[in-house]
Formats: sequence, C-alpha cells, structure tokens
Amino acid sequence: MRVRATSRAVAVVERAKLHRSGGLTVTIGTGCCESTAPFLYEDFWPGPDQEAVGEVAGVTVFAPEYLRRSYPGDEGVVLDVNEEFGESLSIETEFGVRLVLRGADFDSTTEPERCVVPAPASTADRPRAVVGEMPEALRRAHMR
Amino acid sequence: MADFQLFIDGEYCDAASGETFTTSDPATNEAIGEVAKADRSDAVRAVEAARRAFDEGPWPRMTGPERAAKLRKVVELIGSKAEKLAEMEARDGGGTIKKATFADIPGSQSAFEWFARCAEDEADEVELPGSPFPPSQNWVSYEPHGVCTGIIPWNFPFIMAAWKIAPAIAAGNTTVIKPASYTSISALMLGEVFQEADLPPGVVNIVAGPGGTVGEELAANPLVDKTAFTGSTEVGRRIMQLASGTVKPVTLELGGKSANIVLDDADLDLAAAAVLFGTFFHNGQVCESGTRALVHRSVYDEFLSLLVDRAGKMVVGNQLDFNTDLGPLVSRGQAETIERYVALGRDEVGEPVCGGGRPEGLAEGLVAENFYTPTIFAGVDNKAKIAQEEIFGPVLCVIPFDTDEEAVAIANDSIYGLGGGVQSSNFERARKVAAGMRTGTVWINDYHMISPERPFGGYKQSGIGRELGTQGYNAYRQAKHIHANPGGTRDNYMHFSALSPNI
Repeated sequence: MRVRATSRAVAVVERAKLHRSGGLTVTIGTGCCESTAPFLYEDFWPGPDQEAVGEVAGVTVFAPEYLRRSYPGDEGVVLDVNEEFGESLSIETEFGVRLVLRGADFDSTTEPERCVVPAPASTADRPRAVVGEMPEALRRAHMR
Repeated sequence: MADFQLFIDGEYCDAASGETFTTSDPATNEAIGEVAKADRSDAVRAVEAARRAFDEGPWPRMTGPERAAKLRKVVELIGSKAEKLAEMEARDGGGTIKKATFADIPGSQSAFEWFARCAEDEADEVELPGSPFPPSQNWVSYEPHGVCTGIIPWNFPFIMAAWKIAPAIAAGNTTVIKPASYTSISALMLGEVFQEADLPPGVVNIVAGPGGTVGEELAANPLVDKTAFTGSTEVGRRIMQLASGTVKPVTLELGGKSANIVLDDADLDLAAAAVLFGTFFHNGQVCESGTRALVHRSVYDEFLSLLVDRAGKMVVGNQLDFNTDLGPLVSRGQAETIERYVALGRDEVGEPVCGGGRPEGLAEGLVAENFYTPTIFAGVDNKAKIAQEEIFGPVLCVIPFDTDEEAVAIANDSIYGLGGGVQSSNFERARKVAAGMRTGTVWINDYHMISPERPFGGYKQSGIGRELGTQGYNAYRQAKHIHANPGGTRDNYMHFSALSPNI
C-alpha cells in the first residue's frame, strides 16, 4: 500500500500541528458512515496490526493489516481534503473540513472543482413541499 | 441567533463563541438553517449541567415508574410533532419521507416506550443467597452510572438519539448527546419535547459541533461516567482510547459488511425483495445493510435477473415524495466515496450489471452529483475491496456459493459481524446456517427488522455491548452488591476468626 497526499491534505495536517501539542498520527480505518477514510488523531495508539504506510507533513500514516492486504505492493491511495464539515473525531473536523481518500489516479491540480461544494442558497421563503402520502400498507406496518 | 440552538441545562442557547454552521438539503444543496456550532467549552458546560442534575437533582432519586411516566409523555409529544419531525428528518439527511414516517419517528417512540417499561419492570434490587457463616443477607442493587454521553451518526439521527437517551434516562442517568453535524436538526428539536415533558434541567443536553473537539470532550471528560457511540470502527477505537483515561465503560455499535445468504430452496421472489430492501434501504447508508448477497449457484442466474430487473425500477429522486425509494446521499462527499468504490469495482470485478453512476432525468433543482443509482456487481470474489470494505452506499456485491458451509465461511470472512440474513423455505436449515454466522443479528426470510425489545450490536470489529432489549437497559446500570451482617455478637463475624482474637 502506498499513500500519497495532495497539497491540500498537507496544509490541513500542518494546520492541525499548530493547534495540538501532542504527537499527531494519521490512521486509515474503516466502517459505517466513514467508509474507509483517514483519521487524524492526537496521541493515538496504533493497533497491533497497524503499520506505517506513508507520511504526510511529517506525520506517520498507519494502516491495518487487512487493508494493506487489499492494496498490495505499490497500489496507492491519495489523501485529499473535502471542503465539507465531516463526521468522526478526526482533528480537522474542527476546521470544517474532512480528510478523505481518493483513488491513486486522482490529481487535485487538474480537478480542483471536484471538492468544492456550492454555497447553499436559502430555502426559507420557498421550501419544497412533501408530495403524496404514506402508502396504506406501511401505515399498519410501522417499524417498531 | 442560530435557527437551531444547543440544548443545555433545560434551555436553548447559542454556542459560547456565537459560531454557527449551515445545514442544507442534500437533494438541492439549499440551506435549511444555521445550527449553533458548539466548541469544547460548550461540551464542558453541557457535561457540568448533566453532572449537577445527577448529583443534586431529583431525576436519579425518582422511582422507575415515576421516570417511566415522563418517558411516556415524551412518546406522546413526539407523536404530536411527528409530521414536522419526519419532514425535517428527511429534508436534513436525505432519507426518504417514507422512511422518516414509518421508521424514524415511530421507531423513536417505541424506544422511549420500551425503556419506560424497563424502568417499571426491571427490578432495582435482587435478593441473592445468604450464607450460614458469617450470617448475612445479600442483594444486588442496580443503580445508574451517572453522566452518560452519546455520540450519534448521521444516517438515523432521530432514532439514534432515542436509542442513546431513552435507556440512559430511564435507568436514572443524565445525558449529553452529540448529533452528527450533517444532521443535527431533529435531535436538537427533541429539546423542546423534553421541556414540554417537564424533565428536570440538565437531565438531557444536546450539543452539535465538530467531533474533533466536542466528540473528543464527551468521550474523555472525567466528569462523564459512561459513553456510547454509533458510527465508524476507527472512531470507536478512538473513543475507547479516550474513555480509557478514566476507565469509562463504552458501548460501541460500529461498521458492518453483512451477508444475506440466499439458499437454493428460497422463494426467489420474496428473497429478492429481502436482498433489495436489505441493501438499498436508505441508500445502503445503514450499518447492518446486507451488501453482500451470497447466492446458491443453482439459482444464481435466475436470482440475479430478478435483482437487476427490480433494482432498475427503483425510483431515485426527491426524498420528500412518498413515491421515492432512494433520495440523495447525505452529502456530495458521500457520493464521491461511492464513486471511488464503484471505480475500484470496475477495476477488480468488471462492469456493474446495474447502476454504476449518477441518475439521469431528475426533477429540476435536484443536484444529480449528490445522488447515486442502485448498483449491483455480479460474480464478486469475497476478497475484492468492494466486498471487504464498507462502502455505506447503494452498492451490492453478489457472490455465488455451492454449499451451506461455504456460504457461512464467506459470510464470516470479514472483520465485521453486525447483521446478516438467510433466505430459505426450510426453517431448520436456515436456523443452522444462522447459528454458524458470527454476527450480532440474523434475519431469516427478512431483513432490517430491529425492535427496541430485541438486543442489537456486533461481533468482532462491529462493536462492544448491546443496545436495546433488557441488555441495552442494563448497560446503563451498575450492579452494586450489598452484604449485610445482622451483627449482635462477635460470633457472627468471620474476621475474629481470620485475624488475631485480640483485635
């Protein structure tokens, strides 16, 4: 497994280093709402099956054995940044952004718009209305 | 002032910093409103309010039936606001109005109702056998932990809030809840319900804000006695680490990559519905989704045709329309994650037999980039990335097998063990297959049927402990053993025999 980072990801990690006094670690983990994603933690204890697979802004990136097996040899992923507030306990959520994984062919210099979420317009004066009504069969089958 | 404020110590308030963040409808990217953005100081304020309510307030000193009466009031009040809550839930998170109406709101009411019953029916004290020497009476007293925090995910924000709040307060604890930033609104609206139900201030506190600060504080703060989390495995690992500083018990409900096994004797028509519902309900953004369909080779082709035919008929579009099956993903970022996995699938497995892109022909105003079509990959090797990693989107891997033993082995070849299904017309055979699956819940001839009366949780890296059921109630209670010696004479004490007779 080979990990690269975009300049945006490097900048986010550099910013986190200024906000936290402890040692930083990036761990690539998995599951549920996050899917497989990078997590930036302070004073983190890597698990026994985690090994270093790269470095971003001087911070070591760890990945567990089962993920390393899925990305053998030089098969890579790219650490990038999504300009949306994200979930998780990852430090950069404090800045309203989220580190994400991209495919190895991702080139942030040629796809700068991909991560930009358009500024939302207000719907306060014209909210969309609910359409239709609950199907009869579901009325008697409310999930308990 | 924020449109949706924090709920601390019985009152709505802005964040101390005055900061807000915009929450938007993922179907259109249009703003719904400004949410107060808590920081670490707000989280501490909420924890301190919960601590005061526990140490000095009436709630933990009320009887179980008295607390149950308050929970039933909450059930009634949620019912009176059901339509508005359902609409906000669908608008904020992208789940369909159908899901919000038949699952999220009534499911939350059921959780409060069930834990009200637990508060009434589960004994606070249980007598234990005594001993002849030294003579004693013994009993276990079940007591609340104290301040319990809960961090909840974006996929079922309202029902997950209920799953964390209801058992905690039913057992006499006080709570601080952090909803996910994508979907904070409905949980924050619960504050109004607790005010109207006249819960004492500080019993329930709700703070929205970044996980990196607010979430971290709720897991680590030394005034907190227990923490519970639903979400990703990696965050669960981090929460365990943060909680370990003061040795807090944790309840974790984490990721999954569940297998839905279709045996060769299954009614294929019904089984196809179970697989499609098991996978594509709420766009596959469900921890226990059955995203690996293991299909017996003798019925594989016929079954795959059924799946592809029906998946293609699913309606993708406006989540506020009762005719819609799949609304938008929760965010553009989530849609991009799915796009990345579908690209990996194309590399590893080949072209999907269904879906594999953004929908066409959406109604005007809907942002296609935030939607994804129901996608099926056929002939998938269970070692493939798309079969091993949780995608959390509408992507199904269909995997053939030849024997029941092989199906169980494939199902168990995962770091997860949260849900699973067996579709079969032979009950005993299905039961045997279910017994072999290392997972927290198995549905036979069904899927996603979760109820507050039945425990829910994971094996392996899918979590620790159980929510719901009596197990979920007792997770919020400490067991204190009391040994009572009747006293009276020195002959009744063992320590006079164990130590020097002169003491």
